[in-house]
Amino acid sequence: MTPTLTPHSDVDLFADPVLEDPYPTYRTLRDLGGAVHLARLDAWALTRYDAVRGALGDWQTFSSSAVALNEPVNEMLVGTVLAADPPEHDVLRSVLADRLGPRAVRSLQADIATRAEALVEEVVARGEFDAVTDLAAAFPFAVVFDLIGLPDDARPNMLRWADATFNVCGPMNDRTAGGLLVVQEMFEWVATLKAGDLLDGSMGRAIFEAAEAGRIRPESCIPLLAAYATAGMDTTINAIANAVHLFAQHPDQWDLVRADPALLPGAFNEVLRFDAPVQVFGRRTTRVVDVEGTEIPADSQVLLLYGSGNRDERHYADPDRFDVTRAPVDHLTFGYGTHGCAGQALARLEAHAVLGALAARVHRLHVGEPKRHLNNVLRGIESLQVHGVELDR
Amino acid sequence: MRLTIDRDRCEGYGLCADSAPELMHLDDDGELVLDHEDVPAPSSAAAETAVRVCPVAALRAD
Repeated sequence: MTPTLTPHSDVDLFADPVLEDPYPTYRTLRDLGGAVHLARLDAWALTRYDAVRGALGDWQTFSSSAVALNEPVNEMLVGTVLAADPPEHDVLRSVLADRLGPRAVRSLQADIATRAEALVEEVVARGEFDAVTDLAAAFPFAVVFDLIGLPDDARPNMLRWADATFNVCGPMNDRTAGGLLVVQEMFEWVATLKAGDLLDGSMGRAIFEAAEAGRIRPESCIPLLAAYATAGMDTTINAIANAVHLFAQHPDQWDLVRADPALLPGAFNEVLRFDAPVQVFGRRTTRVVDVEGTEIPADSQVLLLYGSGNRDERHYADPDRFDVTRAPVDHLTFGYGTHGCAGQALARLEAHAVLGALAARVHRLHVGEPKRHLNNVLRGIESLQVHGVELDR
Repeated sequence: MRLTIDRDRCEGYGLCADSAPELMHLDDDGELVLDHEDVPAPSSAAAETAVRVCPVAALRAD
């Protein structure tokens, strides 16, 4: 390997200023190459759309055994659905898909829509509210908590635990170190759960039933339960928060969605493309592989930069423009292929319900400056004050 | 061009059917049905899009 010929960078992708707005840094990296060696991490960032998508579609070469960007957490994740490769992965996945797949969640649609209408009605009537804590976080939290069937004593801790679970998937920095203590606390609690602690008929109970039926090993129950609980909250929360923020910033785009509700699914895809809640996950190369002319050695840590691929001008024209008519169904935000987000049907259902309820009532949202929430992996907002609501006219 | 579904992977998202309604649809149970496994030439671009948008890489065109 000749360093002068290999695209490389000294940037710290996880420094606060980069997390605040990673897109200029992503562009610099994309212009260096589809694969860029990051000196600080001794890891390879895949930066362009085709490179990220290609790696997601090739689990044989890009193993999920390094889905986190540090080894202690990768060791913790051995045997989980997130970090497993086929065939082990497929068994765990099928247990989740039974309850989370589109066929299963169709029956939830009416209830989720009703709950979204009620919550939106309530916050809009107040006129002033926090679009994150009162709406974007409150809704998925309530829906997902009930679907998993978790006991109430987890309520005060669940969001803190979920946030930490994503933080520790970053490199070994201060955020990861702090998150590890919180994740340990979560696992100590989750490990005490027995089948009878989960609501009858819930998704959580179904995991224990799969173990009783011999589909999965009993020791897989707790990690699957933790995966449900953490992956189903912060992701959807940040997606809805980012959506409210983007539509408040781009009233012309909001008008388009309001004028034609059929645009809503495509518009939500554009929200997901524009600000991916999960910005990065890792992989490990199982062999030497050429990515857009750059040779990555075997056994290398790779970063899949979803947020960069989604803004790749080689794939999306004028990528920094928020345009709901683009309807980019092939964005990278849910991943793709073997590990494609198992909860995406439910996430879409929740987001369409909340945004649809807002679109039916609200002409304009007047918001303050968002307070960003910094996390190694997630891109989201901690707080977004709504100062005023102009109702339908 | 011929379309094939990996039934173990297909979870029924239906994005393919949205892209190429002339080639496939979801039945009442949400199972994907290929109406034309052998893709008529005028629909080959739609078939490729359908393959491309599958979230779990369950649809193939060869």
